Amino acid sequence: MKTKTTTNPSQSKKGFYKWSDAGASSYLMLAPFVILFLIFSVYPVLASLRLSFMRYNAICNPEQSPCGSVGFGNYTTLIFDDSRFHKALLNTSIYVVGAVLIGMVASLALALSLQADTKSNRILRVIFFLPSVTSGVAVVLVWGWVFRGDDVGLLNALISKIGISPVEWLATPSLALPVLIFMSVWGGAGFGMILFLAGLNAIPAMYYEAAVIDGAGPRERFFNITLPLLRPVMVYVGITGTIGAFQIFEAVYLLFPSGTGSVGGLRDMALTIVPYLYDMGFLKFRLGYASAIAWVLFIIIFVISMINIKLTKSLEDLR
Amino acid sequence: MSLKQSPSRQIARAERKAQKRNEALMERSGNFHAPFERSSKSQKLRRIPIYLLTVVMIAPYYWMITSSFKSVEELQQVPPTLFPDKPIVGNYYDSRFDPLNYQQDVLQGLFQRYTDINFGFMRFMLNSIYVNILITLFTLFIGSLAAYVVSKHRFKAKRAIYLVIIGSMMIPWQVGLIPGFLLVDSLGWLNSYFGYVVPALPKAFIVFFLVQYLSSIPDELVEAARIDGAREFTIYWRIILPLLKPALIAMMIFTAIGEWNNFLWPLIITNSQEMANLPVALAGLRNSGAGNVGMQGIIMAASLITSIPTILLFFLAQKHFIRGIALSGIK
Repeated sequence: MKTKTTTNPSQSKKGFYKWSDAGASSYLMLAPFVILFLIFSVYPVLASLRLSFMRYNAICNPEQSPCGSVGFGNYTTLIFDDSRFHKALLNTSIYVVGAVLIGMVASLALALSLQADTKSNRILRVIFFLPSVTSGVAVVLVWGWVFRGDDVGLLNALISKIGISPVEWLATPSLALPVLIFMSVWGGAGFGMILFLAGLNAIPAMYYEAAVIDGAGPRERFFNITLPLLRPVMVYVGITGTIGAFQIFEAVYLLFPSGTGSVGGLRDMALTIVPYLYDMGFLKFRLGYASAIAWVLFIIIFVISMINIKLTKSLEDLR
Repeated sequence: MSLKQSPSRQIARAERKAQKRNEALMERSGNFHAPFERSSKSQKLRRIPIYLLTVVMIAPYYWMITSSFKSVEELQQVPPTLFPDKPIVGNYYDSRFDPLNYQQDVLQGLFQRYTDINFGFMRFMLNSIYVNILITLFTLFIGSLAAYVVSKHRFKAKRAIYLVIIGSMMIPWQVGLIPGFLLVDSLGWLNSYFGYVVPALPKAFIVFFLVQYLSSIPDELVEAARIDGAREFTIYWRIILPLLKPALIAMMIFTAIGEWNNFLWPLIITNSQEMANLPVALAGLRNSGAGNVGMQGIIMAASLITSIPTILLFFLAQKHFIRGIALSGIK
């Protein structure tokens, strides 16, 4: 190794790399991250896959109810028999579709209307972005206070001004998901807006100039220049938004507790996947079963991301 | 001289003329840089929805702050007052409070609760701060070391290692939640700072981001230092770290805010109250006082205290933060 240092390093990339020592120092510097990464990121994922094929709970008793492999048992139970899981899956799907679609439209609209670099716009951008840096638990508790069902809730006080009687916002099954979606859009629109703004600013002004010279109006410019050129950003916002929405936890856990020391609210009206995972894993201590839920979550997110990427690729090929 | 200058002057004049014409053309068809904003009058009308939305954005913050200064009596008032009639600080600290002498209208303020743990409510703030500093420092240190090696060294396993790191970003972190919990349990790290800090250190996103950033830094810099006989760690410390500064600041703010607001992991690894961080303590406060209107002032006070540090950090380092997000989104 050491003899190679004598060769001339400044020829090409290849020469540089040949000369570069790939000896102990590389591994030494990489080691702290990689070792921790293997132990705390890679191992848990693999172990969770193994657990998901096992019966593993708090009362593992070799004589009465032994813990051990159940094959695909956890998965078949989840998919065919568990009505709570079906409810959670349905709720999560509605929530994700609503939150991502409305969130994306809101983010894009915000980015377009706050694009000009004026002082008031800069202030407004900060205001819209604030929820992204505020503690989710704090935000959820404030909304819980605003959405309170009786007369002391802010929202009920406001709607009573226009003659509507108080609504039990957090105890009406048909309102649970809309409330969650609203909170998600409120909290996430500013983040998407920043990404869209970056995308908008990356579009060269000359495209618009050329379009104007060709006589294109604002609408044509939007649909033929802005939207197509924003597609990569839209894909990114869509995928990250979907992944984030699938992982909703705080709002359900705090605003929709169940009487029986469980989560999800009245008749599981707001039960979603991660709170259900928490319920099974850490309240009912069915760790194997909860791992299966985690893997179903992963598979769903993975498939959706793949579809999203493939779809946009094929759309680009069409053009 | 004048003869030589005149043609260029003519060209310049013609250019200016053309530019003026173009500008007039642009003016008529809207602004290029913000092509969807109309001119003054209709523009102002169009901004009304934005201002209404701004009110919706601010309302929860306003409600949180004002509620935290309301007395129990005022919190129960119907309709609620938009501004506290008689602002009080009792939700934070009520000097009239006496644990031996219960009085109807006197509150046990936030900082007077949790009498059975050292520092009371301050303990949760200290926990959050301590954990945050440790995670942010070490995660950036090991992350940037790894990023330097991945970006500027070459050896056989490098590609494979980097692929695994990037690939792990696609996996929702909850997948490893249960084995992670069991692992921390078997290490005896439940209810300890180790349980908070060590599992949070390897962050794939940071390595990914820093490798992206380093790819724009020429290899020749490293090469030159090697010729001068610098050792690898010296190169990292003296050359790479200073160059990475903007990226590191962005990642530092990302990590700090994310960890400060972290909830699910601290919730499952702490079951003794004194090891809770702020969000977990907040959730506990809510669960103990759910439904009790009088408790809302205290809950809002705690929410406010939890929210302020990240908002402050964001304001202090706004530019780096926004740039970080934009960079991570574009690439």
